[in-house]
Amino acid sequence: MNDPLAKLKRWFTGGGLLWPLLGLAALLAYDFAFVDGFFRLEVRDGHLYGTLIDILNQGSKTMLLALGMTLVIATGGVDLSVGSLMAIAGAIAAALVTQSEMSLALIVPIALCATAALGVFNGALVSVAGIQPIVATLILMVAGRGIAMLITGGQIVTFEHAGFVYIGNGHFMGLPFTLTIVALALGGTSLLMRKTACGLFVEAAGDNETASRFSGLPTRWVKLSVYAFSGLCAGLAGLIAASNIKAADSSRVGEMMELDAIFAVVVGGTALTGGRFNLLGSIVGALLIQTLTTTMITQGVPPAVAPVPKAIVIVAVCLLQSERFRNEVSGWFGKRRATA
Amino acid sequence: MKQDDPFSTKSAFGGLTLAGLMALAVGCGGGSDAPTPSSSGDGSASTPSGSSLTVGFAQVGAESSWRTAETESIKAEAEKRGVNLKFSDAQGKQENQLKAVNGFIAQGVDAIILAPVVETGWEQVLKEAKDAEIPVVLVDRGLKVSDDSLYATLIASDFVAEGRMAGEWLAEKSGGKASIIELQGTPGAAPAIDRKKGFEEAIKAHEGMKIIASQSGDFRRSGGKEVTEALLKVHGDKVTAIYAHNDDMALGAIQAIEEAGKKPGTDILVVSIDGVKGAFEAMVKGTLNCSVECSPLLGPLAFDAVEKAVAGETLPKKTIVDDQVYDQSKAAEAIDSRKY
Amino acid sequence: MRRYFPLMATFAVLIVLFGTASAMYDRFFTARVVANLFSDNAFLGITAIGMTFVILSGGIDLSVGAVLAFTMTFVASMVTEHSWHPVPAISLALALGVALGGGMGFLIQRYDLPPFLVTLGGMFFARGMAFLVSAESITIDHEFYTALQDIKIVVGPKAWLKAVALVFLSLLFGAVSLAHWTPFGRNIYALGGNESSARLMGLPVARTKIQVYALNGFCSALAGVVATIYMGSGNPAMGVGLELDAIACVVIGGTLLTGGVGYVAGTLGGVLIFGTIQSALIFDGRLNSWWLRIAIGVLLLIFILMQRQLSRMSAPTKN
Repeated sequence: MNDPLAKLKRWFTGGGLLWPLLGLAALLAYDFAFVDGFFRLEVRDGHLYGTLIDILNQGSKTMLLALGMTLVIATGGVDLSVGSLMAIAGAIAAALVTQSEMSLALIVPIALCATAALGVFNGALVSVAGIQPIVATLILMVAGRGIAMLITGGQIVTFEHAGFVYIGNGHFMGLPFTLTIVALALGGTSLLMRKTACGLFVEAAGDNETASRFSGLPTRWVKLSVYAFSGLCAGLAGLIAASNIKAADSSRVGEMMELDAIFAVVVGGTALTGGRFNLLGSIVGALLIQTLTTTMITQGVPPAVAPVPKAIVIVAVCLLQSERFRNEVSGWFGKRRATA
Repeated sequence: MKQDDPFSTKSAFGGLTLAGLMALAVGCGGGSDAPTPSSSGDGSASTPSGSSLTVGFAQVGAESSWRTAETESIKAEAEKRGVNLKFSDAQGKQENQLKAVNGFIAQGVDAIILAPVVETGWEQVLKEAKDAEIPVVLVDRGLKVSDDSLYATLIASDFVAEGRMAGEWLAEKSGGKASIIELQGTPGAAPAIDRKKGFEEAIKAHEGMKIIASQSGDFRRSGGKEVTEALLKVHGDKVTAIYAHNDDMALGAIQAIEEAGKKPGTDILVVSIDGVKGAFEAMVKGTLNCSVECSPLLGPLAFDAVEKAVAGETLPKKTIVDDQVYDQSKAAEAIDSRKY
Repeated sequence: MRRYFPLMATFAVLIVLFGTASAMYDRFFTARVVANLFSDNAFLGITAIGMTFVILSGGIDLSVGAVLAFTMTFVASMVTEHSWHPVPAISLALALGVALGGGMGFLIQRYDLPPFLVTLGGMFFARGMAFLVSAESITIDHEFYTALQDIKIVVGPKAWLKAVALVFLSLLFGAVSLAHWTPFGRNIYALGGNESSARLMGLPVARTKIQVYALNGFCSALAGVVATIYMGSGNPAMGVGLELDAIACVVIGGTLLTGGVGYVAGTLGGVLIFGTIQSALIFDGRLNSWWLRIAIGVLLLIFILMQRQLSRMSAPTKN
């Protein structure tokens, strides 16, 4: 089809991007109506300042995790260790920054290589040893937290290194630097996936591994790579997290974030069974969850009960995404369409 | 057609098992634990004076540097007194602590030190300890049982008093007028519940002191920062004080205040509890106003109690550790003597 | 016979593990330690049994820990704060568990929603509800409970099986019968093996799906009730991460997450392996907090690999 409008519409609705966007829009509409000053933006110190900016900044960690998680889920797996990998990256960076004279240009790659290597370990357990991904990554989820705590000795390691602090708190072109990181990551990954055969390999391996292997696809390498990539993304997110609070909090950082990431990916249109994936959808999903969290804080929802609105939003977005549900509802209004 | 089996030889498997067993043996020191003086197989404890005790310590977890300091204190004291310490980390879960205590009873330790993660649910396991004649010393938090004789003594700070002291200090400093943001600890945790209670008691008498927002920062530095960031945008200039249930959250809040362009300590008063080194540094810098001490260094008191209990003495039910209020005026001189 | 190799592998691993620990630690090889394994892990075991059925049917359920917490808190609140007799409180709690499970199953089946997300929503919902009932933990003080807690079957010197272990073992027996000797059980296996084939064969796929989640809801609620007996209290913060532990036990026991393959008895093996690792580490007592976590990870890895290798050695028929 050459009609650009039709193409745009197809891209929009076909990949399931519509529903998380709608969910996000609904949430923002609620905020507009009920939360004073949610959309207020000011300029301070040469950069934008406001709740929306906070959402983008705080959400950058989830967005990065979701990016890596998308590819893992696309191959039919899952990566539960991302929270612990975040802790490890933060711990390594904080330890090096405070105890050595190494420059940031060396420290960042070291931390990222470490988490990517651990990602390879995950991938090896899954693709070589044939262990189911939930359990394979569960091992690092438990042990990884221990490794991070080992590096910091159970203490919170604080630092003031200007360069490192800039990663999570600095601003670039008026917006938080973390957004630049996310944009670069998203751009790079999309290019790699869509302009090369990589995306095709990932989708094929996830869709039908046996058939892919028989077609000559190096499925083992594909799987190893996606877990390594997930490790890399987790490392980035971990550096941002540590930088944000100017400390490496090994025992608590990244807690429960793997669930947020998985939620973002599935809401964004990638099925847990593997196959087609939607990177942009995952980003939107991550934004959705962060907006929800921030909305609940500003609305003063009592912390213990906070999970309940989360549950409602999750189920609501799921229902919206379900074709059967939409058909049933439109059936109430007179239109019915055959479903697969 | 069968998939390539990477572990296709039995010898590979055999090697793996052997490696596994060796890892276990080497990792765990290759031998059974040190002989305990109670050589009878029924689990009852009887210590001839002079020989070393075996004490089981069921710790909550390692979720903060405060907690790590508590563990270190107990371990150091055990070493000093030549006690064979069996350490168990429950990772924050009550069921793991119950398993630990049951395990200690089965091993026949001479005494148990327990830091209960919640207040209820210990009846059964304490009865078994009593039947096995193993005294139980509680540290750091209390618990509710129908029969007081089930535990030897409790050595703890009074969390309610801590909250009250924080509230009273704030009332005095602010002249009885403040709009307060409260950063709560983890929902359901005893310190969070009690510190909230105490604080509210203290400010009840002062009409001008109001908590305008109260959210959970989960006892985490990142939680404190994220919540304060969001709430400052909603309530803006109205906020005059922040009360955090622990220092970590306060330190995160301080960063958020600075990023909002305000001066923590002057524009917005910051009060917290725990008294960790980081808090003292902040007070010296002028960003934190007050921290109520909550000492984790319970090792010496705990082992005093253990030795007395094992010797058959009756102990006072409660030993309340005195907490002191530290504010900026005292911080500079006290900071060097701070041990945690 | 070959079919049972994965099951035998799991128990072989358990024996190796228990044997090694017994050799290394004084007094590990006692009836008391074994009995404790069953009592301490009773509610994990009950949860894992329910989870086995869900996974066998090709699904997953993340809400189990939260439902357990809700049930505990609900029963404790009803008995202590509202003076109900435990029996109607427990019955109502079990019914609520079934209702929530069935509700989730309905959404999953009817609208083809991903089980991971729906049950994640269920988890958040149940957790929030638990805190709504009570923000703090509540002690249960009632003669009925005291009577229950006194039930003991002596199995050795200073070793007894408590009421909770008995419930666990009875449920296990019931579950095994359900899985292998009833049409419901066969339907679950068929559904997990290949859903479209099952539907084409005329099996009641829709009903089975909903029933499986309802069954798991019952198990989670029962686990919560068992927890109240074990601890004599209700705690809304309980059971965080329990679902992952349960899934790990199910998988170590040889059940495939893709569905259709596995044994309920294997889950028993998985639970005992999990419990033995924890007991062994407690007996060791020398590791600090971080080495402990690393050790758990390493041990899990070793034994999963061992189990995997043992079952692979028996010509696998399914990928």
